[in-house]
Amino acid sequence: MDPMTFSIIRHRLFRIVDEAVITLKHVSGSAITNEGHDLMVSLYGADGSLLMGGVGFLHHLTSAAEACKAVIRKFGDRIGEGDVYLLNDPYTAALHTSDIYLVAPIHYDGKLVAWSACFVHVYDIGAMNPGGFSPQSIDIFTEGFSSPGIKIVDKGEMVQDVVDTILNMVRSPEMVMLDLRSMIACNNVARERMQSLIAKYGPETVNEAGAELIRQSEELLRARLLELPDGSWQSRQYLDVQGETATVRLTMTKKGDRLIFDFTGSSPQSRHSINCTYWAALGGLFAPLFPLLCYDITWNEGVIRLIEMIAPEGSVVNCTRPAPVSVATVGAIQSVNNAACATIGKMLAASDKYREQATAVWHANHFAIFKFGRNQKGGQSIGILTETFAGAGGASAFADGVDIGGEVPNPISRMANVETVEASFPIRYLFRKRMADSGGPGRWRGGTGGELAIVPHKAPDGGLHYVISGKGDRHPMSDGLAGGLPGGPNAYLWAKSGEAAAAGDDGRLPGGAQAVSWGVFPLMGEDALYVRWNGGGGYGDPLDRDPENVAKDVVGALVSADAARDIYGVVLSEQGVVDTAATDALRGSMKAERMAGEAA
Amino acid sequence: MKEVRSWSATLVSMPGKSGRVIACRACSAELCGTDASWKEHAVLRESPLREAAGATYRSAGDEVLLRRFYCGSCGAALDSEIALPGEPFLLDRLAE
Amino acid sequence: MSETTYLVATDVGGTCTDTIVVSSTGEITIGKALSTPPDFATGVLNSIRSAADAMQLDMSRILEKTTLFIHGSTVVDNTVFTREGSRTGLVATEGFEDTLLVTRGAYGRWSGLTEEGIKNPVKTSRAPALVDPAAIVGVRERIDCDGDVVQALDMAGAREAIRHLVQDRKVDAIAVSFLWSFYNPSHEQAIRKLVEEVAPGTYVTLSSDIAPVPGEYERTSTAVINAYAGRVAGDYLKELGDLLARNGYRGQTMVMQGYGGLLPVEEAAVRAVGMIECGPAAGVIGAKFLGDAMGDLDIIAADMGGTTFKVGVIQNGELEYAREPMVDRFHYVAPKIDVVSIGAGGGSIIQLDPKTKLPTVGPRSAGSRPGPICYGLGGQEPTLTDVMMLIGYMDSGHFLRGSMPLDSENTRRIFKQKIADPLGTSVEDAAIGIYRIASAQITDLIRKITVERGLDPRDFVLHSFGGTCGMLASAFGEELSVRRIVIPYTASVNCAFGLVTADVRHEYSVTKTLPVDVPASEINAVYAPLMEKAARQLASEGFGKDSISMSWSVDFRYRRQVHEVTTPVRVETPLTDDGLKALVADFESLYERKFGRGSAYREAGIEMTMFRLTASGLLKRPDLPKLAEGKADASAARIGSRPIFVERRGALAEGNIYDFEKLEPGNRLRGPAVIHTPITTIAVQEGQSARMDGFRNIVLEMER
Repeated sequence: MDPMTFSIIRHRLFRIVDEAVITLKHVSGSAITNEGHDLMVSLYGADGSLLMGGVGFLHHLTSAAEACKAVIRKFGDRIGEGDVYLLNDPYTAALHTSDIYLVAPIHYDGKLVAWSACFVHVYDIGAMNPGGFSPQSIDIFTEGFSSPGIKIVDKGEMVQDVVDTILNMVRSPEMVMLDLRSMIACNNVARERMQSLIAKYGPETVNEAGAELIRQSEELLRARLLELPDGSWQSRQYLDVQGETATVRLTMTKKGDRLIFDFTGSSPQSRHSINCTYWAALGGLFAPLFPLLCYDITWNEGVIRLIEMIAPEGSVVNCTRPAPVSVATVGAIQSVNNAACATIGKMLAASDKYREQATAVWHANHFAIFKFGRNQKGGQSIGILTETFAGAGGASAFADGVDIGGEVPNPISRMANVETVEASFPIRYLFRKRMADSGGPGRWRGGTGGELAIVPHKAPDGGLHYVISGKGDRHPMSDGLAGGLPGGPNAYLWAKSGEAAAAGDDGRLPGGAQAVSWGVFPLMGEDALYVRWNGGGGYGDPLDRDPENVAKDVVGALVSADAARDIYGVVLSEQGVVDTAATDALRGSMKAERMAGEAA
Repeated sequence: MKEVRSWSATLVSMPGKSGRVIACRACSAELCGTDASWKEHAVLRESPLREAAGATYRSAGDEVLLRRFYCGSCGAALDSEIALPGEPFLLDRLAE
Repeated sequence: MSETTYLVATDVGGTCTDTIVVSSTGEITIGKALSTPPDFATGVLNSIRSAADAMQLDMSRILEKTTLFIHGSTVVDNTVFTREGSRTGLVATEGFEDTLLVTRGAYGRWSGLTEEGIKNPVKTSRAPALVDPAAIVGVRERIDCDGDVVQALDMAGAREAIRHLVQDRKVDAIAVSFLWSFYNPSHEQAIRKLVEEVAPGTYVTLSSDIAPVPGEYERTSTAVINAYAGRVAGDYLKELGDLLARNGYRGQTMVMQGYGGLLPVEEAAVRAVGMIECGPAAGVIGAKFLGDAMGDLDIIAADMGGTTFKVGVIQNGELEYAREPMVDRFHYVAPKIDVVSIGAGGGSIIQLDPKTKLPTVGPRSAGSRPGPICYGLGGQEPTLTDVMMLIGYMDSGHFLRGSMPLDSENTRRIFKQKIADPLGTSVEDAAIGIYRIASAQITDLIRKITVERGLDPRDFVLHSFGGTCGMLASAFGEELSVRRIVIPYTASVNCAFGLVTADVRHEYSVTKTLPVDVPASEINAVYAPLMEKAARQLASEGFGKDSISMSWSVDFRYRRQVHEVTTPVRVETPLTDDGLKALVADFESLYERKFGRGSAYREAGIEMTMFRLTASGLLKRPDLPKLAEGKADASAARIGSRPIFVERRGALAEGNIYDFEKLEPGNRLRGPAVIHTPITTIAVQEGQSARMDGFRNIVLEMER
């Protein structure tokens, strides 16, 4: 087909996704959708294969394709024009129950020609704990409503009894209804725009352009893979739940134009809800793969064709029903993100041509902390601490990671202003800032993470409670690359009312503190909650870092004077100026000390 | 193959006395043949992460280890990994 | 008979400085000169002189008889882009010193990037802040969400902080931004007093003055931009004032603001952020004025020059304001007319993607030097302008009245070699394809920004401004199915034209959250002090009671929702309880119109979050002389025919060529045709008709 028309259709398909995203954010109006950009919209072919992936939480692109295919399998000929289907069963396609997919067929001249699919993290799904992440759940049955596919709009008409049934099972049904309405509006926009695109260029041309687009992505990725060295690379990620460790192990093998991700050796599924299902693991590895390997390639089925995944059944990355999975997106899925990012980074770094695309692992440990309780206006509120979307960048072969710079799987996230949070929850921040030394040391430093503390403030009930889950605080997860060190780990402290502080405790907190990482806790009276989030991984040998950059970091309180000396081998004067001779001497003796060790 | 090729960001492969070998990118010192596990031939420093690298790591679990691999001839950092006790090395290899 | 007097308006743009002189007899004269950064004032004088030359008068003769000088300038944008502002420090709440630097997480890393940029996070980073991180100091103090003081301001610490900034960090401008200062500015004000004491002469901006709104990151960023560019902007306006005075001008100077209103120069000088993107805002104001004169309330104003395509939207006579404005890659918060741009203009370079072989248009531009190949100034890369020549829209004999011959042979040769041959197609087909890609990109952009506002382009009239837009408007306007397309007589100096149609406008606001069931008197009490302040201000500027207009608007939202909608108060003010009910109803319908059916979430309850007052001092409008429309027959203006691209046929076909200067109001012609004006070219597609109206605008209509 002629390249001009192809170019126009390609651009327009992208715009369709973009417009649908705008609609989704507008109608939903929720903070997690609008601030965290915890959403996704994509277009799929008539058979459910990915046609055009949008910029959102990227681990959904392939899972939503599977959701379309599951609906096709289940409903077959009964799929009608104007229908919308809901699917949120993780054992069918979804990531966890609170990330609801709405998928809608697009017809032209009565014929099914494409699908649109979107998701948002709904306000609540009726699991044991409010907000969707449910650390106290012991199986999928306690994780709220879930469906392997149900029709909620029939030929343009809302199926009210079905919708009412769903709403009957969730907290704040009116907020969940708004989430559903936003997704319906989003699919409507996608459908209308697709139909007018087809009307202008004709169904054959659009179809051909779609096929060409997929072919082109496949060819471009194939060419790239052929340029990269053959080999295999390993990574490992630990997840902690109150002292119980699960491990995700990955061997990524590249051979010719194929890339195989093998999770053999990963832990058996956990009794805790950190597990993920097969489709979630697949989505988890594509989330970093799209932006790291396909940054200049359209994200579609063509990319997927060249990738293979092996995930042992019954493992933490391919659990079997009824294992609980509600924490998956901040649990095993993110471990898969991190493991894939690490191996892809090593592969790129092994190539002289692609080394500059390599990155150490970015923000690798989401914390799902949902505050809930009565706010200062008297209403009940549930809301996530959006700092988990603030993240931290990994270092690359040519630059430091971006401090509090986000994450790879969700390219356009952001966090809420302190004033926005304080206006709608009865809490006050004591501080929120970058965390010194949290960026993984290296020739190029990982971006720093951050730290914050909150206390109850003018709360009608004296405070509120929060649900906390994730992968714990014991392990650093943002791996370094090329000899760089990982970013510092997360930490969560509950400073309790009236408890005496011990020596060495953080003087900024009101009292003695204990670590928390899993479950439901109070933030009442004089309590404080302290959260520290991880930095990105470093790149290269810290002893190769330009001493001037170390000095600058010390002035900016991003690196402590201790770390400057002990890790970077940089000696600074009291004024913070580099002592070049002393630095050279110190670095020399540190290298000598390294060599003095015995070979393994 | 005569030429020096990238093996990783910190290592290269090149011709050695008996077949191709993996060598330090910084000083060209030979570690081992390309079919061996190079980490076995590098200097390993393994220590609890909490004590290994500064205050921010002090919240890490007691058993979490930081492994650093250095070139035995020039002291360059070649790689690092996080491990629990008894974990095998992460193995990265090119198919040459 | 009274002596002729003048109104002079000059707009400094990135490339050109445009002037419009309106005489008291209604004559309009246009002046143009190149902009002269960083010494913009010289370009301003050159531009006025060029208009004076066209009037065959001495510049000082005109300036002596000028009653009002209106000015818009990119000086602030330029200061930020070139990083040539003051050495600036920032005083923040202790514990929140990093707010500016971390930009709400990744927000500052991806904002302002193209799609391609966002998809490659490894290659993205933040723009370094305008403040040296070492020049940010925290001071102990804390105010809470009700404006109550939780922690008193540490005066000794504050004094030391200021000393440190001024003496150790050598700053000569300080921005102050504390949490919740817009509810309780006392701590910020105390810092200002301290600076005046400790370091008099330091330029100070308080966040509670410049942006009294919630959201500490955006408010802080605004205060920093203002402190950074404030001195440069102030000095520039003063220098320009002196220069004008030396050339005989004795009157008042008004400065255009990004929100489309004017401020007296003294006030503008301390609000540098207000001037950001004021040129494009003036362009939209001009489109609105013209629309009002023509009876069109819904307008898409598109401007395409050498490097960028800009578009703004006027709906029901109301201007649209940007939600998250940025300058360079820095966020700020200030009312600003929303003008969206992409890097597509006449100078945009055409390239083939090395991997996919797909043609791309821009964002790289050949600028004016070396410019397009056809200008013959050494350009070697095909541009959109070259494409326009290849498809018959531009013609050597008519470009700039024939004063600049176009190098057709060389253009064709390079285009064939770099574009057509690799594509395996003819020069014409390749050029047509690229024209269509550019047109489709613009269509997609306009569709995106109208969808963002819940609007349908089919309800709009398209105004086409700038040198390149007239050649594309008929194509993308038709695809968008706009009602009609207007290429205004003043299309080439649109922003300067907008300046003379603006009023003096002061914007005031109070942030306060109230439920909608309060008695109206409570809202009136919020407005009373604002009204008094505004009346005093306008009176001091010489506006009498009959030339003052006050309008209220209120920001509403559904509780637990993030979208706030500014709703104009159309009922009588001060409000009655019934009036308040009507206002709430207006909000609800506006919300659904903006965010779509089913988006309203009544069950959560509604609250008001901000109370705004716009106080206008009305200036005398220029009278646009409207000529009578005569006969339809345009044949007297027809100067020939040649092959031109016809969209419907997808190929070149014979079209009529007309000379704009020979057309008379009332004349009508049918496409395919091309109208050459002294500065640009207007393409008329097959199936469209063009008419010259009484204002000498060209109006294109689709024959449906």
